Amino acid sequence: MTQVHGAAAVLPRTPNRLDPIPGRRSLDDQTLAMIVSLASEVTILRARLDACERLLVAANIFTPDAVDNFTPDEAAQAARERQRLHGMAKIFRPLREAASAALAALSAHDEVQP
Amino acid sequence: MTSPSPKGIVEARAAQAHPMIALPSHDELVEQLFIRDLKQFVMAELEPAQQRIAEKLESAITPPASNDPVGALRRQMEQVESFGAWLSLKRESQRQLWYAVTDCVERQAAELQALGRIDNPKGSLTIDPDFQAPDYITRGDIHLMPGGNAYDDGTLLQGAVMDRGGAVYMLGRNGGMLNDLRGQTAMAHLLTIAPDIKPARILDMGCGIGTSTVPAALCFPEADVHGIDVGGSMLRYAHARAEHLGAAVHFARQSAERTNFAAASFDVVYSCAMLHETSPAAMVNILAESRRLLRPGGVAIHLEVPLLHTFGDLWQELSAELEAQFNNEPNWRGALSVDYAQMMRAAGFSDVRAGYQATAFNARLSPKKFGDTSDGVFRSWFVTSGRV
Repeated sequence: MTQVHGAAAVLPRTPNRLDPIPGRRSLDDQTLAMIVSLASEVTILRARLDACERLLVAANIFTPDAVDNFTPDEAAQAARERQRLHGMAKIFRPLREAASAALAALSAHDEVQP
Repeated sequence: MTSPSPKGIVEARAAQAHPMIALPSHDELVEQLFIRDLKQFVMAELEPAQQRIAEKLESAITPPASNDPVGALRRQMEQVESFGAWLSLKRESQRQLWYAVTDCVERQAAELQALGRIDNPKGSLTIDPDFQAPDYITRGDIHLMPGGNAYDDGTLLQGAVMDRGGAVYMLGRNGGMLNDLRGQTAMAHLLTIAPDIKPARILDMGCGIGTSTVPAALCFPEADVHGIDVGGSMLRYAHARAEHLGAAVHFARQSAERTNFAAASFDVVYSCAMLHETSPAAMVNILAESRRLLRPGGVAIHLEVPLLHTFGDLWQELSAELEAQFNNEPNWRGALSVDYAQMMRAAGFSDVRAGYQATAFNARLSPKKFGDTSDGVFRSWFVTSGRV
């Protein structure tokens, strides 16, 4: 059962039944999926930077060297690490799925061995 | 810097079409807009080239070299590398949609669960824990929504995923965040064929999260309105969503093929884009169940996407076939190619109609236009209806 209080909610992420697309290698699709995720992340990042720049300029507190001179504190570093790990899980999801499927196939093979 | 989106970013719950829908953060909204735009790009920028390729290849197929011209075209297209890439990107855009929306829902899970606790509800919720979903629901997750329609983890979160995902999936063409134009259109059809009807009891089969059920409750506030579907999570969400929208609806987990309602206990039984998610055998059962549930004089309405024969060319037929296989639409071809008038008569209905109802934004106020021809996708919906 999905837990909402205490542990974070975890909903399914991989749909049941993904028919192979004729003429496409699995790795082709994995690569494409990663590129789409990266494009999505870049789009989000640009929008967020755009919002920040506009807000800072509007507030008259933005200077061109503010980012280059910024050093994250411990909490900020932890938050940035969480962001990086979340991004990696999203971007490299196809490779993880493919490895899991290969492992499951091998395990099934092992089970039928005498 | 680029210019801001003309749609802006509105995250206040009060600014949404209903208070249950998961609200995106700044980043989540940008991500969802990216997916919406990617889907539009795949459809509007990439697909036309595939269509032109198909038209060139199609000319080599005729005169009839095959009694399966769609299959023959498909085999030729599968030799074209860009065809596979287009199809992969199309499916990936759908997978991205669910991934992004699930992030958005999981982040605010506790808040959504709290919103789902309704004191003194106007409607009700009945979930049979022993319910077994039909195999056409469970053998592939419809629309690639992970977990599928029958998912039930004891929360309403899968329903929240379906709601937010549906709004992005439909690209805003189906009533924005309410996503309710099919329900409005079904009720508009009812008022087209029976302008003075005052139904006492209405059933929405395959109600999902209630997007098509709430319009019936609001259109006929005196009626006792029921909605049935296969997913516990969806129905919990549907119940909360309807209550927040001020609609009294009784939701229950049941199969439309055989319900536990008494025979001749409804005045109107309807469904919206449900039949293409079932099976050819289930369609027969569902029409028979519609007939069983209606009182004398009662009306059955089944709304669907445009039928295949109205598409008019091989590429459109192939495109629909691909949608069925790679977006998990289990009965796409079956539901979109049958003779509904004949099926309705065979189920025992009289005064049978089969045609296209103009999309209604408000069942009571929108023009009531029903005829033989489609006005195009999203501008009209296929509808069959009959009386007992």
